[in-house]
Amino acid sequence: MATTPSNMKGFYKLKKNKSGITKPTSSKKSSLHLVPSLGSDITQLTALISHGSPDLKDYHDNHEELMRQFDINMAYGPCLGMSRLARWERAQRLGLNPPIGFEGLLKAEKVRSECWWDGRI
Amino acid sequence: MENRVKVLAAAASCFCFPAMAGMEIDTVENLQRKQSTYQSLDETFVIQNETYRGQQYSQIYFARLHMMRTLLYSLVTHWKPHVPVCTVLGLEEGKECIIVGTLYKHMKLKPCILDEYSKERSAVPLVKHHNFMHPDDHLVLEDESGRVKLGGTVLSPSVYVTGVVVALHGKETGAGDFMVLDVLEAGLAPQIEPQLKSREDKYVVFISGVSAGSSLSNPLQFQLLVDHITGHLGDEKEQGIAAEIVHVVIAGNSVEIPLGLLNGQNLASKDQSRLSEPVQELDILLTQIAAGVPVDIMPGSNDPANFSLPQQPLNRWLFPGSRAYNTFRSCTNPHCFELDGVRILGTSGQNIDDLKKYSEGRDGLEFMERTLKWRHLAPTTPNTLGCYPFTDRDPFLIESCPHVYFVGNQDKYGTRILKGSEGQLVRLISIPKFCNTGMVVVVSFYMYYIIPGSETIKPELVLQKLLPCTFTCGFMSCICSFLDLEHL
Repeated sequence: MATTPSNMKGFYKLKKNKSGITKPTSSKKSSLHLVPSLGSDITQLTALISHGSPDLKDYHDNHEELMRQFDINMAYGPCLGMSRLARWERAQRLGLNPPIGFEGLLKAEKVRSECWWDGRI
Repeated sequence: MENRVKVLAAAASCFCFPAMAGMEIDTVENLQRKQSTYQSLDETFVIQNETYRGQQYSQIYFARLHMMRTLLYSLVTHWKPHVPVCTVLGLEEGKECIIVGTLYKHMKLKPCILDEYSKERSAVPLVKHHNFMHPDDHLVLEDESGRVKLGGTVLSPSVYVTGVVVALHGKETGAGDFMVLDVLEAGLAPQIEPQLKSREDKYVVFISGVSAGSSLSNPLQFQLLVDHITGHLGDEKEQGIAAEIVHVVIAGNSVEIPLGLLNGQNLASKDQSRLSEPVQELDILLTQIAAGVPVDIMPGSNDPANFSLPQQPLNRWLFPGSRAYNTFRSCTNPHCFELDGVRILGTSGQNIDDLKKYSEGRDGLEFMERTLKWRHLAPTTPNTLGCYPFTDRDPFLIESCPHVYFVGNQDKYGTRILKGSEGQLVRLISIPKFCNTGMVVVVSFYMYYIIPGSETIKPELVLQKLLPCTFTCGFMSCICSFLDLEHL
């Protein structure tokens, strides 16, 4: 509003009413509307949502991205068949100095406990 | 620090013998068995905190490579200080460098599960089971970044096996191979000098391949041995020698269960008793030994224990008689313990037998020497020898060099002293199968008498006196052969 009205409303900032008509936010159910790519079958779709959330969500999580880099890093050895915490502890014990912050992330369960490929291979 | 457990004298450890005929039977002497401190070092071989979560063997190979590479990197700086170290992927053609990795031996004749599915079903002649070597075998070095084929004549494929970690000095050729100029193995591990406290002569008896219940074994032979160890045989002098036996180690294959009973079919009641007879027979004899002297029993390839290494201790309930004694110990395979400060390490033979199949050597002792120099008890695990898929460690790495290294269930007796580059001394012992040869090995722990003020005792003098003697326990020849022990 460009001009200040002379009545009481002017003293209060006008906010947009969020309960009005808005676009629906993406929910978990909407992922089922994903069009499967040519040639794939239902198993591929279940793999994408096997852990309860679609892949798309993971990509936006910075912590998960960091952990994925930890998984791929060859210096800490193979990642399949071990939980991420066990692999971190092994790296610590072997003197490889893995980033200390990861232990906190894993113990606080802010990221997945298994490596990115677990269950997909 | 683990508590040193002083061996408690079992009730019958002191035994008395009647005086010889012709003398007055009013003096009866009691002979006390000598004792020694025992400390078990088997924690690394016991599987207790491990859980199987579907992991593959890449984890144990990583642990092995990492531990050995850290060690080899420290050795390489003294070996060839001016040559740069790089990874396999970082190799440049023509540039001399050092690479460290795990060896892989590509063997043409090694049985492969995929051969069953091959389309060419030609009449392939039966491969000789005792050895899978072929002149075309070649070695490959592998680390996390990649692998490279090894060329040159320095590294002989007949000596090495898959799973050994080495450092190689050489350069990459135009063909993409790595021409090896020199090789560095880890060498013997550091050895702790034994503490020279005791002034007495003590013996440790090693038996292997008793095979109770087998058609080859003669129960009278084993009974004769038990009678000797417990002092029920011979005159004063021999009982005196038997009283100096402080420990008995049974290195695997103590029973042989008839194979026909183990084909998975339901057993008739008479067969069920046949299944348990060998173990019962063994228990009866073990009880007699345990009543008099500490005995360690290790599982072997034929025993009712798990298949893959490290084999877990035989269940104590198999031995209801012997388990009553605290001198009876069921141990892992491999087994490591300290007796009076002398470190003894050994296996029931699977590690050396597997090396014999995939490499060449003069005798069993040469394979044993190689495992010590490679600092790994069983380098062929998990490739051709079954092993538990550890994730965070490799329990077969030898961290401290033993003073006595034994291997059981071999074809013949053999022994020699191995000297390391830093003054380590190891007595290598190859224990023959008792059911075939009737032989046990007796190791003497003779310690020189220390005179205060004299020159310090050199460890070599002590360890050279760790003389093993063969002790033939034949049915008729027990007593006379004891008198002509072979000293080597």
